Amino acid sequence: MRTLSLYQEGDSIIHKIDPITKIIFVLITILIPIIMGTLNSAFAFLIISLTLVIIAGVIKKVLPIVGFTSIILVTVIIIQGLYYFNNRTPFFAIGTVVFYKEGLLYALEIILRIYSIINSVSLLMFTTKPSDLVEALVKKGLSPRIGYVFSSVLQIIPQMMSTVDTIIDAQRSRGMEVEGSFSRRIRAFIPLIGPAVISSLIDTKERAMALEVRAFNSRYKKTFLNEGTTFKYADVMQVSLISILIISIVLRFVH
Amino acid sequence: MFFMKIITVEHLKYKYPLSDKLALDDISFEIEQGEFIGIIGQNGAGKSTLCQALVGLVPNFYKGSYGGTVLVNGINVSKTEVSEVASHVGLVFQNPFNQITGSKLTVYEEVAFGLENLGLPVEEMKRRIDNVLNLLGLYEFRDKNPFDLSGGQMQRLAIAGIIAMQPEVIVLDEPTSQLDPQGSEEVFRVVQRLSEQGMTIVMAEHKMEKIAAYSDRVMLLHDGKLIDFDIPKKVFSREDIEEYGVITPVYTRICKNLDIKDENGFYPITIDEAHERLEKIL
Repeated sequence: MRTLSLYQEGDSIIHKIDPITKIIFVLITILIPIIMGTLNSAFAFLIISLTLVIIAGVIKKVLPIVGFTSIILVTVIIIQGLYYFNNRTPFFAIGTVVFYKEGLLYALEIILRIYSIINSVSLLMFTTKPSDLVEALVKKGLSPRIGYVFSSVLQIIPQMMSTVDTIIDAQRSRGMEVEGSFSRRIRAFIPLIGPAVISSLIDTKERAMALEVRAFNSRYKKTFLNEGTTFKYADVMQVSLISILIISIVLRFVH
Repeated sequence: MFFMKIITVEHLKYKYPLSDKLALDDISFEIEQGEFIGIIGQNGAGKSTLCQALVGLVPNFYKGSYGGTVLVNGINVSKTEVSEVASHVGLVFQNPFNQITGSKLTVYEEVAFGLENLGLPVEEMKRRIDNVLNLLGLYEFRDKNPFDLSGGQMQRLAIAGIIAMQPEVIVLDEPTSQLDPQGSEEVFRVVQRLSEQGMTIVMAEHKMEKIAAYSDRVMLLHDGKLIDFDIPKKVFSREDIEEYGVITPVYTRICKNLDIKDENGFYPITIDEAHERLEKIL
């Protein structure tokens, strides 16, 4: 079964934490370094989120993302190192190109922030079942219809993709060439996309009716089969995370 | 014996939007509780439309012009929301894939979908799901992903999702037309079991041997009109049945060609009846 989910099975303590606490953690790793605006806070959150990723046992999945982002982040170093508006102290030079200390420090801060965001978002995505995540949000008041869209898309898109594969095979068996030069591919596109769109529309209509007869638009208050990943310390953790956020805001204004 | 009327349809007329032709043309009938009703007729006769009218998708999903009344268990379905009707009458569609919600990761959760929408307490949900999965022979697959099931299993899952909502009536619109012979057989066995448990069943189907074997009464539709509604023997013995594009059960055709009738003047419609008749003659 192909799904688009990034979820990795596991039984670490991180997997047991409820989705809402993880979402709050993600928000905090994004917000606090911005609010504090210091290198230390960015570094601290990188260490924290990286440690959690290791505990969750998903570091192998995160490394490729970090690697890919690094390529982009190299440009940040170059641009800020050369052109940051506060640049005063030359740090080193390659030929006539001078890199400045202020710019490099600023780039470092950006990089630390981005890496810690990647780590914390990965933590959420790799250790939370999408269905649990959506269900937690619906329980918190997200519309069940929007929740359905999020959770069904992960399974229905792969289904649509296999429909497209079938259509490609069918058109090929009738002699249509789908490979080759660019113009040939463009010409092949229309006979493929037509049936794909129409069959998806028909499927969607049928699915809409099938949902209707299962009381999708019911006016009763929805209940949930899974009472949710009940995590003992969820409340404590959420309160402390939010307190940390408030403290950081206060500190910022005191300074 | 007292039979309760569970479905009453009076002068039902319906026209799809953007169409000039009546899809259902002045249809009236009554169905009693616990009956197994087969709906037959060629493509375009109005079978699917009638099935959808019984749950209120016609007219509430499509709009269009509607006349007459459909009462199921005392509820006027055209004036009630489909989600409200859902706990009284369930509908199973042709394509098993499109009935899987896609938002659930296991068979067990998939069955729960409708129950969650009805707002049932968890205990009640679990009780019903266990019950339904056992009844439909799906319990061993409860932790599987619904999309990993075979066609026949998936269709049974669709039926499970409907049955769990405990409707008084279940309507099946050609539930085996997209299944292989084995899958069809599984579905028919399940439908038969539900019927034996006393559930009222309305099934549109092209496999006439099955209709002949299971139905208490058969409804013959043609061009949106109700041509006949009677015991299967009588309907399949009509001299003009082929004019309505219906190919009668193979046993009926054999006996018709051999001119073998029972004492009431009807052709046998099942293998057992045909066998019995032939034995008497030979």
